[in-house]
Amino acid sequence: MMKKLALIPACLLILGACEMAPEGTIALREPESPFIAFNIWVQVGSQDDPAGREGIAALTANLLSDGSTTADSYDAILEKLYPMASGYGYNVDKEMTAFTGRIHRDNLDAYYELFRNHLLAPAFKEEDFERVKSQTMNFLERTRRYGRDEELSKELLFSMAYAGTPYEHPEEGYVESVRSITLDDVKDFYSQYYVRNNIVVGIGGGYPAGFIARVREDFNTLPEGVVPVVAPPEPRMPEGIEVLIVEKPTDATPISIGFPITLLRGDSDFYGMMAMNSWFGEHRNSFSNLYQVIRETRGMNYGDYSYIEAYPLGYTTQVPRVNCSRRHQLFEIWIRPISMTAPGNLHDRTLFATRAALRELRDIVDNGMTEETLATTQQFLRNYTINWGSTISRRLAYAVDDAFYGIGGDGFLGSIRPGLEALSLAGVNEAIGTHLQYDNMYIVLITRDAEAMKAKLLNGVATPITYAGEKSAEHMAEDELIAGFPIPVTEDKITIIGINDVFERGQ
Amino acid sequence: MKVLIKVALALALATPALAQQEAGFFPFDYRLVELENGFKAYLIEAGAPNQIAYVSMVRTGSRDEWEPGRSGFAHFFEHMMFRGTEKYPNYDAVTAEIGAARNAFTGNDQTVYYLVASNDYLEQIMDLESDRFMNLDYSEPDFRTEAGAVLGEYQQSATTPFGFLFERLRETAYDRHTYRHTTIGYEADVRAMPEGYDYSLSFYRRYYRPENIVLVLAGDFDVDAVEELVRQYYSAWEPGYVPPQIPEEPTQQAPRRNTVEYAGRTLPVLTVNYKGPAWSASDRLAVATEVLGQVAFGPNSDVYKKLVIEERRVQFLSGNFGLARDPALLSIMSMVIDPADVGSVEQEIQATVERFTEELVDEKLFADTKSNMKYGFLMGLETAQNVAFSMIQYVINTGGIEAVDEYYRTLDSVTREDVREAARRHLVGSGKTVVTMVQAEGE
Repeated sequence: MMKKLALIPACLLILGACEMAPEGTIALREPESPFIAFNIWVQVGSQDDPAGREGIAALTANLLSDGSTTADSYDAILEKLYPMASGYGYNVDKEMTAFTGRIHRDNLDAYYELFRNHLLAPAFKEEDFERVKSQTMNFLERTRRYGRDEELSKELLFSMAYAGTPYEHPEEGYVESVRSITLDDVKDFYSQYYVRNNIVVGIGGGYPAGFIARVREDFNTLPEGVVPVVAPPEPRMPEGIEVLIVEKPTDATPISIGFPITLLRGDSDFYGMMAMNSWFGEHRNSFSNLYQVIRETRGMNYGDYSYIEAYPLGYTTQVPRVNCSRRHQLFEIWIRPISMTAPGNLHDRTLFATRAALRELRDIVDNGMTEETLATTQQFLRNYTINWGSTISRRLAYAVDDAFYGIGGDGFLGSIRPGLEALSLAGVNEAIGTHLQYDNMYIVLITRDAEAMKAKLLNGVATPITYAGEKSAEHMAEDELIAGFPIPVTEDKITIIGINDVFERGQ
Repeated sequence: MKVLIKVALALALATPALAQQEAGFFPFDYRLVELENGFKAYLIEAGAPNQIAYVSMVRTGSRDEWEPGRSGFAHFFEHMMFRGTEKYPNYDAVTAEIGAARNAFTGNDQTVYYLVASNDYLEQIMDLESDRFMNLDYSEPDFRTEAGAVLGEYQQSATTPFGFLFERLRETAYDRHTYRHTTIGYEADVRAMPEGYDYSLSFYRRYYRPENIVLVLAGDFDVDAVEELVRQYYSAWEPGYVPPQIPEEPTQQAPRRNTVEYAGRTLPVLTVNYKGPAWSASDRLAVATEVLGQVAFGPNSDVYKKLVIEERRVQFLSGNFGLARDPALLSIMSMVIDPADVGSVEQEIQATVERFTEELVDEKLFADTKSNMKYGFLMGLETAQNVAFSMIQYVINTGGIEAVDEYYRTLDSVTREDVREAARRHLVGSGKTVVTMVQAEGE
């Protein structure tokens, strides 16, 4: 059967096909691509939210994305986007806001007019604001608390770890702070941060020559402004084990564990830690050692992973999140929900899984990687990471993140292979020693009967588990070690809150 | 194997969707390799130099769980497929060495296994995949261990508002058909899974057969060489598919109504459901039914503009009229801001239903919807994995990808009268099921 074409050569493009880009732009032109991707990076994030107005950066972006412009009402915008099967979206993280879109090149002109207007000519209509704020409030009051417990536990971990810093509050804000935000607040926020010197225009794919210059000129019609500078957060290292237990009527308990690290993409230790983390807890992959110990061998839950960079909404994706660049990161362990109603004593399985993770962490800190595990990981990542830049939107987003981190040359995607190949075992283990430890840890648990959990943590009794099938003597011997692995915590380091108080207000 | 690295040329997608109809809508060359045992492989030349997406589509999902006490088993069995064979006892280690992005998912009608990897490993992957589909081998203790992993997965979703709602919605709407249960299954059945080792072997023997599984390979490879590999690795697979005895759902005779209380915080969620036709690429009224969902309740519909944008009485409104292998629910769903307003929102939905059974859809909206459906398909063809995944519904519903062109030809031929006729035929009062989820008192 006669047919036509081949796809865009993804892996060649990862290596970069940047044309000379005008100032204030990131260009990733791939002339043969039928798609054009937009990534407008506004250098503002939730860290810029004023006290008492937490959530305003996200609400502003939301209103721009889902509101009217001076040229078109919101329903007219939807009507125009509809036949193109396209739209645009936004992502607000701690330090950055990205407005993204993708269009088939048949429809570029019509699409771009809408895309441009939504950022440059917002109408700030009261009715749009009311709709968007109502949806946000519903998320804050209900969905965040009764949706994915595992995502909530991660949010709480970050909030704990960054208490007292501009990273403390979730991007969406608190119930009380968002309730207090007015349309005038949003207009003021827009005026302050959506200025031409604070915006980088990223465009990728099959756009025509000269297009990016035209877009940049459009964005240059915004006024210049003085943008406040926020210092990087300096989070407090936990003193020993500090635990937050959220009381909620649930049947399965997610567990989040973490602590601050001083490691960023682009640092010399980054690839060594990337290899360590991949072996220890590669995101949603059975390659992960944690996964092997907790899920594969013991069938305790759906998966167990670790992170050296923030990875919000990890349950929605198998490839790393983009445009979440930050000047500070946590080391984080994510243990997916452990059933509380499986056979055994209440909370024993949850604490067994927690102990298993802490024990594995101690092992990697004390003993490091081996020649074998490092070589296996290098081999795995060499090909696996190619998938991270599979679409033009992702390659462009990585290019934006490179600009954030000041990574030049072939960019982060292009540097992974050589970075991994240059690793030595001694260097990796030195990096592990520098960045990881197991004495000081934040732990978040969302569970029912929180008091019982607290009591069990404090009395330190072993928390063994049972199996539906027989296990070997060797397996059971290791289980005994895990069940009794110490979690040294004192009463003053355990906090309990109710689910309906979560993120109600700032501290 | 020697792999030809092509220079990618993106030509066809540059042309407007409508102009592609002459040559067929699907914009890639492909070859069908069909073996005597019934196994089919579609080899799609989708460029993306050095990359392949290797996707095995099993035409079995939770729809096939017809035996009592076995709900959720197709999804659970998907987990077991990663437990190795005699030849490759550690599946994880092999795929890690390849560096493949691999996973699987299960739905009502299908279980899909995929690997995305460098084409350097194509033969190794075919060896690995054909081996596990033909020679899966796991012990009872391993089986019992894996069963434990599913319980937490169930509990994570079952306690969310929508997990709770969907379980009850299906129970209300169906009497006999297996769409009565969700893909994750009932909790009691999930808890009983460790005892199902022998059943799992029977499940594998009946459903994991060459007649029931289609390989879609998309990306960059030498088609002739890969055809030979397909013949080499899959020809020994013995046929033996045993069709499930899925009970037919009797025609619903009277409207149904149920209010369920969620033990947590939620705004009311109203769902209005009708029984749709089975998916078809050739039946104009079936395709018109999918168009109907968009024009009547999609983001560009009048009722959406009124309830979501102008009056802001609901948080969202959606019309999910995507069809399935057997008649599934045409579902209109809305989250209502004021609990006292649920009744009047239902009236708005009912008025919309009546309007579309009486009037012809607006001409521009109708044309825009066809354009939306076509560009939606084309926009999804960016990577080898996307291309292969875009084929899932065609393969699962028909056993092949030829139906892509047929579907879009039918879509072109659908008239506004067909959309009205689809509404008259399927949006009937006696087939209606209304399920509303409200917050339990005291929450």
